[in-house]
Parts: sequence; structure tokens; C-alpha cells
Amino acid sequence: MECHKCKSQGQSCGKPSQRLPFFRKSKQFLAKEVFSHPPIALVGMPNVGKSVLFNALTGIYVTVSNYPGTTVEVSRGLAQIGEQTITVVDTPGMYSLLPISEEEKVARDLLLIEPVAAVIHVVDAKNLGRMLPLTFQLIEARLPVILAVNMMDEAQRWGLDVRQDALEMELEIPVVCLAAALNQGIDELKHKIMPFVPVPSSSSGCVGKESIVNSQKL
Amino acid sequence: MTSQVIYPEPIEAAIAQLESWWQTLGERYLFANYSLSPRSLALLLLQKDPGLWQTLQRDQEQCRHLEVLITVTQNQLKQPIGLAIANTRQHQAHAIERAALQETRQARSSLTETLHQLTVNPITGFPILVVILYYGVYKFVGEFGAGELVDHIETFFESQINPLVNHITAQVIPWRPMQDLIANDYGIITLGIRYATAIVLPVVATYFLMFSLLEDSGYLPRLSLMLDRLFKSVGLSGRAVIPMVLGLGCDTMATIVTRTLETKRERLIATFLLSLAIPCAAQWGVIVGLLAQKPAALLFWGGFISAIFIVVGYLTAKLLPGNSGKFYMEVPPLRLPKLRNVLTKTWVRMKWYFLEVLPLFIWASVLIWVGRLTGIFDMIIRGIEPLIASLGMPTQAAPIFLYGFFRRDYGAAGLFDLQQQGSLTGNQLVVAAIVLTLFLPCIAQLQMLIKERGTKTTVAIVLFIFPFAFLMGYLVNFGLTLFGVQF
Repeated sequence: MECHKCKSQGQSCGKPSQRLPFFRKSKQFLAKEVFSHPPIALVGMPNVGKSVLFNALTGIYVTVSNYPGTTVEVSRGLAQIGEQTITVVDTPGMYSLLPISEEEKVARDLLLIEPVAAVIHVVDAKNLGRMLPLTFQLIEARLPVILAVNMMDEAQRWGLDVRQDALEMELEIPVVCLAAALNQGIDELKHKIMPFVPVPSSSSGCVGKESIVNSQKL
Repeated sequence: MTSQVIYPEPIEAAIAQLESWWQTLGERYLFANYSLSPRSLALLLLQKDPGLWQTLQRDQEQCRHLEVLITVTQNQLKQPIGLAIANTRQHQAHAIERAALQETRQARSSLTETLHQLTVNPITGFPILVVILYYGVYKFVGEFGAGELVDHIETFFESQINPLVNHITAQVIPWRPMQDLIANDYGIITLGIRYATAIVLPVVATYFLMFSLLEDSGYLPRLSLMLDRLFKSVGLSGRAVIPMVLGLGCDTMATIVTRTLETKRERLIATFLLSLAIPCAAQWGVIVGLLAQKPAALLFWGGFISAIFIVVGYLTAKLLPGNSGKFYMEVPPLRLPKLRNVLTKTWVRMKWYFLEVLPLFIWASVLIWVGRLTGIFDMIIRGIEPLIASLGMPTQAAPIFLYGFFRRDYGAAGLFDLQQQGSLTGNQLVVAAIVLTLFLPCIAQLQMLIKERGTKTTVAIVLFIFPFAFLMGYLVNFGLTLFGVQF
């Protein structure tokens, strides 16, 4: 639980986790060893393709529906980001940090309580203007946000193009354009997530031998 | 950070005041273990976030301080705080959108726009719905899935597997009751597995395929849009169409999805109607299959269940205090479904359903075996026989209603079995189908109902549904006999 405080300040989560055994009961620590890294959370309004992206990142098949309200609980899966395996959580759709329905509350409470390595805000390229207010809220909450502009294929069919660099400059956060359903842009997204994932060597004891191998490769 | 939104002066002042005040609080700062920044928490509190305010209740002084702060801030603003905050954000969002968005060409497909209008307008939308129901459900699920596929697999089971299983168990196991557990009329393989694979599986497979196609095309949200007004009359909003339509796939899943509804009242009405009048895929597939040879009977069943849905929904909405929720929903574009996605989806759902239902069917076989061995089963059947007889049903149908307690589709499958033997008349089929549809759903949904709505509500729903289902069956039978209708 130590991680809560350091999380909001940045990604320096590695060091406190070394001290975790002293603060936690040892049993709990053992059980959580592998997953002691804070996860990456996918958030966004309903129907922007969060679950599709979740499938693309984790390879787990969660039934994806073409209408809001079908993800009512948080699903978790593992994604390979560079050399690291990290937990990804898919959340129900939410319009704002101020929840209206029960499903929105699930997503908000996750952000409120759980430490996260990064928050990927998934937006629909066709409705950028309507979706950005949530990005602002995530930024002002000091969460480590990556903006994933999804459904680029459909936007292009509508005659719209999103200038990634302009968005990146205005928002001052990493931005990726993708079409998750067509598997386009997933690699670039993973690349942009990498800086947010704690380096294995600094969190020794979490992954054991493997982490040593990884750090040598790096 | 330049990307930070700057709010109107009074709000910024309030945020600054809160932030500096919290720093002086030390231990008494209530939000220490929250991941959001103080600025963000301040904004949420200014908008009266219910969750955070609940935490705030622990310290009366902080509560009062904040209330004063809100009043002061509000007095300096021309619009409500929440609106001022939202407007500032929206304004900046549009500015950024203008900077980042390039219009390459003016090319909104007019075909999809026309299609959208056609599906949403009730005048064209209802005929489209009817066409989809006719070809998608009646022809594909009813005639092809529940008709041909079931016939083939059933025949295969009855002629190849069952005799073989009966023969082998007779050879290997000398004790007759033990043989009955696995083989013969009610055995695990000859009844449980046969029901699951030969009757339920083809129906579920065809239904889920159909459903996934509709789902991926983006038709369902348009259906909600069109049905919004109809749903308002039963105290629900168009939003509730989603769980209802999902309920036609699986009521258990749909009960979970009622969480998307805004008010407690709406969630209650939706779960109640789901339990009462929405048959799940396996069940209505089998029922459609049963009644497919008699279109008039099928229409009567459909009409009757719809009427129950509307009348009971209307009365519940009248009885429960409160208003129906506002309706707003994202409407995704109409898309051409990708075959691969549709097939994966169907496959995943089928697998999930099959694995869910198979153990239950096996357990049902075991329970029936125990029940028969100990004589309890016969006792219960004798107990409900008069009830069944009052519905105008033959006494062989009594076990079906008993199975129906376990799972609706189990009962429906049993009915299917009886009909194949040709021992039911059209009227009896209709009555049985109606009672089984209205009947309390399967055990899985019952569990979900308890989890989502609590034990008290669940008991109330159950106590209403059981007598109601039988009463309706009785009335239908009485009415049909009175008017001399023969299906």
C-alpha cells in the first residue's frame, strides 16, 4: 500500500517496493510478488474501443460488444511491453471523473484508489472534442496519461485526420493514433507505454531471477 | 503545465484555498490515500461528488468549511459551479480539436446515414425489426437451429449413442439403479448430456451467431433509440433495451448489465421484467422450435408474453415511486460486421454457455436419480400433478415443470422431448410454453439476482413470479377452452 503516495508523483515506484516486505505481512507479499507493479489502466467513454484495445494488448479474449454497458466489471490481463510483463486493466466506460451511473463509479473508484503505472485514455478520433474534457481531468489529477486516439480508420473515412504532433504539443502528454480493431498502431502504443513501466532491476525481488536476465539485456 | 485547464477566477481561488488549507491539516487531511491530485479532488468536491463527500462526513469542520466555500464561490459565478467547470473544459477541448483536426474531404457516407434513419424511425424501424425477427430468429434459429440441427443431432443420439450407452452399462454394471444413473431414461449421458448437446447447443449456437452479427453491425443501439418511447411507458428508458435484448441471449448476463441503468428504480424494474418475461436464448429457441409448425400458436405466445411485459411493466412503474431515467447513449456507426470477429464471439459465448450449462444438466440427472431412488421425486410429482392437470396438461408433463425449477431451458428441452413423441396438443404446448417463459429463470440468474438486488427483493420477486406464472397458464388454458380455440 506504500505505493499510493509515490505513484501520483511519477513513476519512481521501483524503490519503495524494495521496502515492501517490511511494511506488509510476509504472506501477502509472497502472494502478490509477480503483480506488485502497478497496472496500466484503460479508461474512456463508452464505445471507444477500450475492450478491443485490451484484447490487442493482452491477447485475452473478452467478449467485445458494439454498444455501451457491456463492460461492467474491471477485466485484467497481462501484456508484454518490451521485456516486461505488466497487468492491464480494462474499465467500464465513463464520461467524467464525476460518476453518474454505477458502472462509471467502478472505473472512477479504480483511479481513485489503485496506484497505476499509466492511464491510457482511449478516445474516438471522430469525436475528439467531446472526449478531451476527460483527458484534462486525468491530467489535472496528475495521473500519468497517454492519449490513444482510436478508430482512425473510421475518422479517415469521414474525411477527418488527426495531427498527432499538434495534439502532443497542446496536451503535453504522449499521443498515439491507432485503429485497434485492425491492429494498427498497437506497437507504437506499446513503445510509448515503455517509459511508464518500471525498469525490472530497480524493483528487485519482484521478479527474481528473470529480472536479472532482463536488466542485463537492457 | 500549460495544458492544465484554467477555470474561472472564483473557482481557481476556491481550489487554491482548499489546497493550501489541506496542507495545514496534516493528519486530519482525509484524502491522503487517494491517487488523484489535490487540485482534482478540490474540483470534485466543489461539484459535490457524492463518494468524496461521504468521506468528508467524518470531519464536521471540514464539511462546514467546504459548504461555506461552495456558497461563496457560487455567489461569484453566473452559472452553477458544475456547469462553469464543464464549459471551461469543453471550450478548451474544442480549441485543441480545431488545432489537431484536419478535414481532408467532405465525405460522410450518405448510405449509412440513410440506413441509420431507417432503423431509428418507428415507421420503417418496426418493419425492419419484424424482418430481422422473421429471418434471423424464426427462420434461422427456429427452423434451422431448433428444427433441422436438433433433429439431426437428436436422431444421432437416440439411434446411435443412447442404445450403445444402454448396452454397455447393462454389460458392465450389474446393479440396475447404478445403470439408471448413467443410462436409460434419465441418465447422465442419455438425458443430461443429450439435452445439453442435442437440444440446447444447436439452438444457442445459431442464436448467438445471429446475435453477434446484429451486435457487430451496430443495430442494437438503434433499436434502443427506436424503442425508447415504448420503454418510457413501462418506467424504463431506451437504455434498458440493452439489458433486455441481452436477456434474450442470457438473463444472467443481462442482470449484471442492468448496472448501466441510472436509478435504483430502473434497475429494479429491469431485473424484475428480465426474470418474468424475457426468455433466454436456449429457452425461446426451443420454444420457437416447438411452435414453429404452428405459426398461430407462436404468434399467440409472442403476443401474450409481450402483453405481460408491457402490462406488468406499466403497473410496476405506476406502483414504484420515481421517474424514468434520462436517455442518453453513445450510438456507434453502422458497420459491416467482420466475419472473424463474429465467429470468435459466437464461439466464446457458446463455449462459455456450454461449460456453464453442462454441469447443471449433469447435476440435474443425478438429482433426478436420487429423487427417483428415494421416492421423493415421485412424491413431488404427485404433488404437482393436480396443478399440472388444472392447466389442462397431461400428467407426463409434471416432471418437466419440476426440471423447470432447475433451469428454464432444461424444462423447455424436456418439453421438446415430449413434443417429439407427439404426446402434446397445440393448446397444451402453448400453455406449457407460457408458464415456462414466465417461470423463475435458472439457478444462475437467481444467484445473480440475490447478488445484485439483495435477498429481500429477490424473495419478493420469486414469491410473485411462481403463482403468477401458473395463474397465467391456468387463465390461458381456461380462455382457450372457453372460446374453443385449437392450435
